[in-house]
Amino acid sequence: MTKSTKTILWVFFLIVALVQLFPLIWLIDFSFLSSNEFYSSSVLKWPSDPQWQNYINAWVDGKFLRYFINSVLVTSVTILLTVILSLTLGYAFTRMQWKLRPIFFTIILLGIMIPIHATLLPNFAIFKALGLTDSYLGLILPYTAVSVPLGTFILTGFMRSIPKAMEESAVVDGANIYRIVFQIIAPLTAPALVTVIVTTFLNCWNEFIMASTFLSKDALKTLPFSVMNFAGQYSSDYGSQFAVMVLTSIPAIVIYALFNEQITKGVTAGAVKG
Amino acid sequence: MQKVFNNKMAIFLFVFPGILLFSLTFLVPIVLSAYYSFRDTLSPGTPSAFIGFANYTELLFHDSRFWLALRNAVLLGLGFILIQHPIAIFFAIMLDRLGGKAEKWFRTIFFIPCVISVVVISKMWLSLLDPTFGAFNKMLDSLGLGFLKHAWLGDSSTALISMLFILIWAGFGWGLLFYYAGLKGIPDDLYEAASLDGASGFRLHWRITVPLLSPVITVQITLAMITALKQMETVFLTTNGGPGDSTQFLAVYLYNKAFSASQYGYANAISILFIIVCLLATYLSNKLTRSDATEF
Repeated sequence: MTKSTKTILWVFFLIVALVQLFPLIWLIDFSFLSSNEFYSSSVLKWPSDPQWQNYINAWVDGKFLRYFINSVLVTSVTILLTVILSLTLGYAFTRMQWKLRPIFFTIILLGIMIPIHATLLPNFAIFKALGLTDSYLGLILPYTAVSVPLGTFILTGFMRSIPKAMEESAVVDGANIYRIVFQIIAPLTAPALVTVIVTTFLNCWNEFIMASTFLSKDALKTLPFSVMNFAGQYSSDYGSQFAVMVLTSIPAIVIYALFNEQITKGVTAGAVKG
Repeated sequence: MQKVFNNKMAIFLFVFPGILLFSLTFLVPIVLSAYYSFRDTLSPGTPSAFIGFANYTELLFHDSRFWLALRNAVLLGLGFILIQHPIAIFFAIMLDRLGGKAEKWFRTIFFIPCVISVVVISKMWLSLLDPTFGAFNKMLDSLGLGFLKHAWLGDSSTALISMLFILIWAGFGWGLLFYYAGLKGIPDDLYEAASLDGASGFRLHWRITVPLLSPVITVQITLAMITALKQMETVFLTTNGGPGDSTQFLAVYLYNKAFSASQYGYANAISILFIIVCLLATYLSNKLTRSDATEF
């Protein structure tokens, strides 16, 4: 490719990126405006008097910190459980020899196709009967169950490419099956595990519908509810609404910025092998 | 070695927790859903009578909303396949050719909408498309296209297409990433060989990239249909199916039937049909696309 085509391509991408990010730029811009400035005719507006109060409202009335801590707790436990279960299931499906293997594998993979929304109603009834609604576990269990099928799928694909010689030499050295899985296979599958962790993070961190069905206690609510808190009482205070949306988006973007290389690597490994 | 792989205790410990959890949140609920779908339950736990297939016959033969929701899913899925995916493939190819630091940077930027919470996406687009202060209409105004100004999500003739637009914006990064990953798996020497044969530019990609990407495309088409069928949160938080059912989807419909209309039994019948439709769609799109996939 010549230098000039490269420049054209670069400029083209820059324009597309700006267009694509425009909604977010607009959101940030308007989060600094007072509500009556919203109706001016300009598409973007330099805030003459930046409304930091909007962010204070967002932090305080959006109950940002409490919901953030809940999100961290629910998401990290879910990720931990998903990794352990996907790893052990993946190993059992690729290496272990047992009769019901194909049936169970199909059943787990069905989880990728069955929409959670279709199981939402009976789950609500079951969780209510078991006393799981309005508890952290009431979110952690379904989040893990939803994440495990994809995690298992990614890991089985990856594990098939690991040579069995690894395990053979470990057995010669006297390692038992648990040491093999957690100390030899787990580190070898690290790139796939990162993909599992990141996809699980993105799904759970931003999940809303299960959380809003299973939770009614304010003390347990997760980050998306910060935004929902502004739907009623602040419905005309757009500046604060926009500020809370900006605040809510920041943690996920930061995590993504830190792990973006691993996401691509993980997906690439998956796509090439799958 | 065989002894290690046959360790029954280990197999049990590895498989049982996962299967138990999966059964608790998927299999048992489906069975329970099937049970409720044959009853005239108003809300979970209330007494109800067995009514046979009445919910199902009502749904399949007298409920136009059900069919509308299905039609909308198909239209949305087609929108993904015909608009989002070609754009994603085009950008993946261009990104791959750009190379260097810029490739990495743009790839990162294009994915940003994918990490943003669905609640934020919904509320943000609701504002962007707002008829009075939304940026979209203001932009049309400043371009001298003020006559196109519209209540985009509030008008039944534009609501579904606006929804498609929002979902393409939000999901574009994933599609791009998958195709990009697929491209990275195509060996360079194939391109060299083809360009020696005189193919170049568009023809080169049409003849080589697209066929070699076909395994990825197959999976992506299936995923697009499923994504369209599963559509819920964005719709729920923006239009809630309206105006006039123009953005109705099965998941939104069943949710509202269960929790707003107090027709829990009926909603469960929708759930069961919903699951059947999803499994059928996966099976069909797999079968249709696999047959002409190129092996390499």
